[in-house]
Amino acid sequence: MSTAGAFLGGASGRLLPASLPLRFFGAAVAYHLLAWLVLAVSSRDALPLDGGLGPPLAALHLLTLGVFGMTALGAAAQLLPVATRQAPVGEHALRAVWWLYTPGVAVLAWGMHSARPPWIALGAAAVMLPLAAWTVLVARHLVGARGMPGVLAHAWSALACLVLVLVTALLLVAGWLGWPAPGRQSLLPLHLLVGPFGFMGLLALGLSYILVPMFALAVPPPERTQLASCVLVVAGLLLAAASVLAPGVPLLQPLAWSAGSTGVLLHLYLMRQALATGMRQDLGRSFVLVKSAWAALLLALVLAGVLWSGLPLPHARAWLALALVAWLLGMVLGFLQRILPFLAALHAAAGRRRGPTASSLTHERALRLHIACHFAALALLALAIGLGSATFAQLGAFTGLAGACAFAVFYLHVLRRLRAARP
Amino acid sequence: MITTQVGRMLDEEHRSNLELLERVERAVGRAPESTPDLAALLGRFAHAMEHDIDRHFRFEEEVLFPRLAEAGDGAMAALLAEEHQAIRDVTEEMLPLVQDMAEGRGDEESWDRLRLAALELVERQVAHIQKETMALLPLLEDLLDAETDGQLALDYAATA
Repeated sequence: MSTAGAFLGGASGRLLPASLPLRFFGAAVAYHLLAWLVLAVSSRDALPLDGGLGPPLAALHLLTLGVFGMTALGAAAQLLPVATRQAPVGEHALRAVWWLYTPGVAVLAWGMHSARPPWIALGAAAVMLPLAAWTVLVARHLVGARGMPGVLAHAWSALACLVLVLVTALLLVAGWLGWPAPGRQSLLPLHLLVGPFGFMGLLALGLSYILVPMFALAVPPPERTQLASCVLVVAGLLLAAASVLAPGVPLLQPLAWSAGSTGVLLHLYLMRQALATGMRQDLGRSFVLVKSAWAALLLALVLAGVLWSGLPLPHARAWLALALVAWLLGMVLGFLQRILPFLAALHAAAGRRRGPTASSLTHERALRLHIACHFAALALLALAIGLGSATFAQLGAFTGLAGACAFAVFYLHVLRRLRAARP
Repeated sequence: MITTQVGRMLDEEHRSNLELLERVERAVGRAPESTPDLAALLGRFAHAMEHDIDRHFRFEEEVLFPRLAEAGDGAMAALLAEEHQAIRDVTEEMLPLVQDMAEGRGDEESWDRLRLAALELVERQVAHIQKETMALLPLLEDLLDAETDGQLALDYAATA
């Protein structure tokens, strides 16, 4: 094995074997495509997203579990060792997580799509078990961590939220199966809070403290400010959860919104500083997506405030759902189009004196098409909500599907080039 | 946060190098042909790569990477050293082309080759700095005690 090969595959290295993160990212790319496809073929009746069983809920979970969750599992497994200065978590365990989680998402989505509780139960079990195992793996990893306390605080908080996501999901599934469970009126808001804002949001915020300074070549933001942002976001989440569990208590919602928003604003300020002071100013198309995601996050906070304040904004829930999707999808796809060629170039260098560059592994035309379709799809969905038009919804979903196909072409191209470049 | 003196010095050099790399990337990326200004910029770039970067690379290879290897991260040190070698290879390819341009001997084909080599060099150097900033510089805190850090920083400054 070459010296680089030893690094890439060796236990002392901090890189997982290429096949591990790439399989998580590949599954995320496939589910991205599938989510738009489900929305496209069912968008005539997709507009009233009321949380009930059916294609819209299936498409939503293909995005949340299939795209965001899948990317989070792979990215955290690869990036946390960098932050914690430790060897990555167990490779075999991660492989097992992928093998169970990936079909689990499909079965769960199928159960939701066809409104069949037994399939939902089966899929939920196949999703929850690996997620719980991943939680334990990452928690064990974090226990011995050194360095980057800001990232670690976000990771711990995200894990705590993931546990709550699993518990609330379990109880929601129990309800669908007709088993005794608390009412959906408190479970669903909790699930919607700790899923996107808690687990995925906190992980996205935390991993941004590694990725944004890395790509912008900036000094990482001060740890204290990272921690302050984390504390505020977590306080916001706790207060919001309390407001769901004790709806009569005054001031909980305004306090939750103020704390969460301040935490997010602090995070965005740190990101802006990193970009402004970074050695790399031209970060290309991927950061257009990342910046659009940050804008969508701000919009989501405003919309959450509007919803809680009771201001009469038509379709406020649908707007909020779209803003959340735009936030998380922009983050995931923006970072993925940078990470994939970077990681592939790193692995392709194994055993070679002059390995390929990241740009030689990417597919610019596919990414150009993807970003155009991504923004067009979001704009069309916004129009669909505003006008209550199923036609625009379907048009938006098909445009998103075209973008997802382009992104899949990019992913396959990276894989092909990586295979060809390897000795 | 980089806490060692050596880490800060290397980071400072990365920063000034990247400034030059960005200028080269912008200028070369859009230029259909060589101009005297461009040739001068590439000459400065090649000089920086040949001398300044070589000094920086040698320090890392002779002083830091062995310590990294001793601490159990030899594979990382080897990867970074391989990247140094790749950057040196591209620089070697580039130097005669820059020389040709500076002396007015370049044609369209050699300009294309020079442009591609310059862009490849920029990309390799940027990716390499990204890895060092992410992985090597924070580790120096574990590798160097305060006394060694101060001594190495003085030694390195003396080679400038």
